[in-house]
Amino acid sequence: MRRLSPPRSGRRGLALAAIACLLLAALVQGRIEARAASRPGVHPLLYLPSGKYLRVAALGFDGILADAIYLWSIQYYGNFQIADRYRYLEQIYTQVIAELDPRYLDPYLTGALIMTVEARDPEMALRLLDKGIVKNPDAWILAFEAGFVCYDNLKDYARAALYFDKALQVPGCHPTVRHLYAEMYNRAGDKRASLREWTEIYETATDPYVRTAAWNHVHDLKVQVDQADLGSALDRFSKREGRRPRHLRELVSLGVVPELPRDPEDRDYRYDPVTGEVSYRGRLILVGF
Amino acid sequence: MLPRIAVIALNTFREAIRNRVLYLLLIFAVAMISFAQILSLLTVGSEEKIIKDFGLASIDIFGVLTSVFIGIGLVSREIERRTVYTLLAKPIHRFEFVLGKFGGLTITLLVNTTVMALWFFLILALKGIFDPNLIVAVFLLYLQFLLITALAVLFSCLSSPILSSIMTLALYVIGHLLWSFDLLKAKIVSPAGRVLCDVLYYVLPNLGNFDIKGPVVHGLPIGPGVVGAALLYLLLYGSAVLAGACAIFQGKELQ
Repeated sequence: MRRLSPPRSGRRGLALAAIACLLLAALVQGRIEARAASRPGVHPLLYLPSGKYLRVAALGFDGILADAIYLWSIQYYGNFQIADRYRYLEQIYTQVIAELDPRYLDPYLTGALIMTVEARDPEMALRLLDKGIVKNPDAWILAFEAGFVCYDNLKDYARAALYFDKALQVPGCHPTVRHLYAEMYNRAGDKRASLREWTEIYETATDPYVRTAAWNHVHDLKVQVDQADLGSALDRFSKREGRRPRHLRELVSLGVVPELPRDPEDRDYRYDPVTGEVSYRGRLILVGF
Repeated sequence: MLPRIAVIALNTFREAIRNRVLYLLLIFAVAMISFAQILSLLTVGSEEKIIKDFGLASIDIFGVLTSVFIGIGLVSREIERRTVYTLLAKPIHRFEFVLGKFGGLTITLLVNTTVMALWFFLILALKGIFDPNLIVAVFLLYLQFLLITALAVLFSCLSSPILSSIMTLALYVIGHLLWSFDLLKAKIVSPAGRVLCDVLYYVLPNLGNFDIKGPVVHGLPIGPGVVGAALLYLLLYGSAVLAGACAIFQGKELQ
């Protein structure tokens, strides 16, 4: 029986023609892209719809779509050659990924990091983290991260304390958050509240390392709070009596304070009646840290 | 009756496993599940989430495609090739033929889903991950495939393979968008329109009942009764669809 297959040489010619056409198509594509690059075009992210609309198109595959956009965003924001890459940063993380998969924690943390460190916009990071906190009330890490942005970038210690407090309300929160929370009061100037928090950490900690660290804070804060209390008592005495006291016991005998505080080593504070200065007999532990 | 349905089901299964489309889809599914491992290297944070998302989505997509592309030809191809006459000439009822065809694809899908799931669990095991809730998620996906298959069989009795595949895929899309009827209802002023939204919501297949991918991937607890409710829904809705398919095939003029 005669075979009906085409001659071998003809098939080879067709294959070569196909490869040649493919190469030409690739060349044309290269030219198209070169021309497009020279023209002022629209931003590639301009038409990326909100996550609310993308969810409809995802047909139940919201999670995988969020993964894909998150993976793409990491590559995109890691490309330092794109000059205006932060233009739609908030939209990508807050409006698209967070809407597609609100329980996906990594994009909140990575997005906040890019916004803070790369785009230098900590307030944008806080807006993203705030959204994450609302959607994931059981994830202490988001409130912790927001507190850290306030502490490290904004130097807004009072706001940081609020976030750390929010993280502490979540069961399973890492104990370090408690330390930061206590320290925020110190940084914000509320040493009495900081002393109260560190004392509680010291009294409740079981880890010897944590207890030692907490004690160092309690030690220094107690000295500072005592010195501040004695300083204000001395001012009240001076205003009332028109002179400085000869010794600190006069503050008690004339009813300015009910009793004199003792330093962490259970000693009296040193008082100079000439200058009116109160000093600590020992050395602060954390000075210079 | 049951032995006759079983014989048809077994033969349908034998026929399906000879179908190249099945292997092509299976290879794509396995490749996509494996690809998740490479893709997870690009992430910052949890690789586990990416692997789980890709694995479950691959099983879902390729399982649905198998249901549709094999299911649509079950009845119509038999009519087209005129092999149905040989079968119906034997002492079997037409509804037994339809149920047998459905049963055959049920076994095919079970084998297909098991292969995909085993590959998925192997990849997870290599990463040291095991989550029993993933088995529940895959089982619910399998139930979803059964409902899609029932719909494919219904359309296969009604129309040509191309139209059947379009209609089945359209119902798959609608089945995952039923939640949007609530949004639509809120925008509609007319009471009749609102009633129509309600009617459509309950009449169309709700595939959201079989989708727990999100909670499982995030390690959230699965609500009690989710599997039972999905099984019951499949039993009732699937029975309705298959009864419709049997009724249509029963009244079909075979020339």
